[in-house]
Amino acid sequence: MTKKPPQAPAPSEIFPERLKAARDLRGWNQSELAERAKMPPSSIAHFESGSRKPSFDTLRRLANVLEVTTDYLLGRVEEPELAESGDPLYRDVGKLTGRDRELAKDFLKMLAERTQAKRKGDS
Amino acid sequence: MNLAFRLKMAKQKGEALVRELGIDSLAVDPLAIATSRDIVVEAKPDAEPGVSGMLLRHGDAFGILYATHVQSEGFQRFSIAHELGHYFLDGHIDHVLPKDGVHASHAGFVSADPYELEADNFAAGLLMPAHLFRKALGRHEPGFVAVESVAGLCRTSLTATAIRYAELTDDAVAVVVSTGATIDYCCLSDTMKSLPQLTWLRKGSPVPRGTATARLNGNGGRVAAADRAEADVDIMDWLGGTRSVSGTEEVIGLGGYGKTLTVLTCPSLVDETYQEDDGEDEEDLIDRWMPHFRR
Repeated sequence: MTKKPPQAPAPSEIFPERLKAARDLRGWNQSELAERAKMPPSSIAHFESGSRKPSFDTLRRLANVLEVTTDYLLGRVEEPELAESGDPLYRDVGKLTGRDRELAKDFLKMLAERTQAKRKGDS
Repeated sequence: MNLAFRLKMAKQKGEALVRELGIDSLAVDPLAIATSRDIVVEAKPDAEPGVSGMLLRHGDAFGILYATHVQSEGFQRFSIAHELGHYFLDGHIDHVLPKDGVHASHAGFVSADPYELEADNFAAGLLMPAHLFRKALGRHEPGFVAVESVAGLCRTSLTATAIRYAELTDDAVAVVVSTGATIDYCCLSDTMKSLPQLTWLRKGSPVPRGTATARLNGNGGRVAAADRAEADVDIMDWLGGTRSVSGTEEVIGLGGYGKTLTVLTCPSLVDETYQEDDGEDEEDLIDRWMPHFRR
């Protein structure tokens, strides 16, 4: 009998601990983060306990306030300030076929360039 | 949380976003909303079929690609709004994020996946928020004229608008989408549901014979040409039940889809409800509004 490889945790399973780690990094309590992100403090408590899962919109807002990347909060990179790991452009766009696959790759490339341009503008 | 509740919450989340953004008139512009969140939106080249939309992420940058091979502004706007649903709805990060940063959708109530249905319901709430939709409906006689006019205001498809109409109107309305001899789905308004022992028209049920819809569906050319027809009808012929109620059947071909949209209305049922209300004395009215724990 072959053993099934362990499944990677879902982003929402990693998010609670990453949010707390990022908040600790900035030295804020839940209320301080809530105030900065313009959210009720109970939302932060729910996110950190895992009882509520965030939307992308919330994820981005928290990442902005905490000055970490969304990739860090999603558990895709280990360092908060590191740019996105592995390039999604070269991963398998498995669910799509034919032309959609090409279009998605081109579009991701454009988004990547946009992120880089933004970073250059910020620095 | 059961699915019906999840879908209701998703629709309300779409409506809440409209309020939060201070949008107080129709049409709601999903593209402007995306731009306000720094989400890049681009159309796929129009000759390409495939998925109706994709939400893409690269690091902190987000984008939406939407299909244009269906030459319907309503379909395209719904596709963008559907992808915004994946962006704004709690918990969709797990569903949307595969290993490659791309999520592909087939918008338009065609999937049984709860996340896709949630995104569809978010889109319906966003593009047709109840408070603005009802206000727009109030200006029209019940039936297809209301659907058509509000679809024009919301810039949504006739089908999506008709479904929302059945959901939000006080009129006695049934909305049926069918292909050939078969019913795809049917939505009834609450007032229509008040008729006793109606048959719930399920997916795959036959279109009742001899109706204007059956005749139109029998002619592919008329369906493709978006031809329309109207007839007096007994609601029993469509929905069964134990009461004969006269109404109107309006049907239109949906063009290339090969489907038709039927709107059944029976104003007499609404008039009757109001007459009953008028005849009640105050005591009755108080009695009706008092909570009854046990009789």
